[in-house]
Amino acid sequence: MDKLVEIKHLNLIYQSVDSETHALDDINLEIDNQEFVSIVGPSGCGKTTILSLISGLMRPTSGDIKVAGKSPSPKDNLTGYMFQRDNLLPWRTIEKNIYFGLEIKRQKTNERKKYALDLAKKYGIGDFLKKHPSELSGGMRQRVALIRTLALKPELLLLDEPFSALDYQTRLELCDHIFEIIKSEKKTAILVTHDIQEAISMSDRIIVLSARPGKIKAIHKTNFSVDMAPFERRKTDKAKELFDIIWQEIQNEKNNEV
Amino acid sequence: MKKIMKFSKSHYDYLKKYRTKKVLILVSQISILVILLLAWELLTKYEIISSFFFSSPSRIAETIGELYKNGELLYHSRITLSETLIGFAIATGIGFLVAFILWYSDFLRRVLEPYLVVLNSLPKIALGPIIIIWFGAGSKAIIFMCILIVIIVTIMNILNSFTNCDKQLIALSRSLGANKFQIFFKLILPNSLKDIVATLKINVGLSWIGAIMGEYLVSKAGLGYLLIYGGQVFDLNLVMTATVVLCVLASIMYFAVALFEKLMNKFYQ
Repeated sequence: MDKLVEIKHLNLIYQSVDSETHALDDINLEIDNQEFVSIVGPSGCGKTTILSLISGLMRPTSGDIKVAGKSPSPKDNLTGYMFQRDNLLPWRTIEKNIYFGLEIKRQKTNERKKYALDLAKKYGIGDFLKKHPSELSGGMRQRVALIRTLALKPELLLLDEPFSALDYQTRLELCDHIFEIIKSEKKTAILVTHDIQEAISMSDRIIVLSARPGKIKAIHKTNFSVDMAPFERRKTDKAKELFDIIWQEIQNEKNNEV
Repeated sequence: MKKIMKFSKSHYDYLKKYRTKKVLILVSQISILVILLLAWELLTKYEIISSFFFSSPSRIAETIGELYKNGELLYHSRITLSETLIGFAIATGIGFLVAFILWYSDFLRRVLEPYLVVLNSLPKIALGPIIIIWFGAGSKAIIFMCILIVIIVTIMNILNSFTNCDKQLIALSRSLGANKFQIFFKLILPNSLKDIVATLKINVGLSWIGAIMGEYLVSKAGLGYLLIYGGQVFDLNLVMTATVVLCVLASIMYFAVALFEKLMNKFYQ
């Protein structure tokens, strides 16, 4: 399989008036096409920073990032960013919200609109198109946010804790939904999360970062069958074993920090 | 009616209660006005309070009639109204534009912030003598006074609304590769619409203050002139009449803005 993302010797130092923060230290990472990778680690270890760098919103202090062989930029269509909050515009209907990305990218053609609408119908929000975001549940809204992202046909989805603002029940349900959507649309995804179980149940590979400055501490492969839904995966012994290992790794990092 | 028939009896009762309350409020509002006018009229008629100092509703009506017949009512109203409207339009327009520029350029905003604060806290009436010297004693000076009073508040309110937009929504737009103009028109402007309308409402009141204050300073005509003139010759009828006309005109302008707000809301829903 070809590599979609290549990160080499990545370093990032944040500058602020009071101090200088070494956020990421010599990150090396390759991600295959259609792979699902999760990044976990203690708070403040630079997980979200990695996503910002891959999306091109930020430039690395040193090192090299390539997405599909090019330096990433928000202007091109390679990556789609999904946030913790759905960020739907409250004054727009669901349909108009789905077109928001297309408008910004000046790609609001009839063909692309139809593609977006088809996605919406296929994944169960066809009945809500004329409603406003305030009329939808949190899980529904996050699904709309994913459709808005997919409407731009990105190769790589960057998921920045997209489930953490939801209640537990909705969260498990949405994990399955989003997983299914990403697999059937054949997308590559990087998920940043605090939730180790969530990372295990959704990904092919889990990257554990160290405390700041973030370094890659361990990489775990899950080797689940693609047909297995995240909810089923959570129940397996393998998931439990992995959880213990990763838990301990992060715990050690926290202790080191203190 | 057909729709209501479908509801349950308790809902029908609820609606009835709701409507009764609405009618009651309206009736009370009108009663207060009628009682006040009646009391005023009777108290002055029997000279319990002096009609010379307090005028009376009937005298005000009479004065309005006279002023209307000899054309002065329309003449003075038109002058003040046009000064107010021109001041309102220019101040709101330029204020909005300046707010946009200051939102766009972080550098300019930080450079100009202290100047805005000082201008905002300065009582604009203090600039009266300077304005008269610069613009002469005419409509120009009055309009300038009006603009001065309205524009600073407009800039501060609208800029504040622009910069208070949800940072996460801006982050989303940036992740989609939006430029600053796109962020402004797709995000900031619709997000600030309610605040802008609120600012317009405040500006209606402020522009009347500006125009009347300007007329106090320099005018030879207008409702503010009538007020000052009436006060100087102790013609309380004239003073009260000018005040009533002012009330009516300012209310009409306020309701025009409220109507505009309703249309806006419909458009965005």
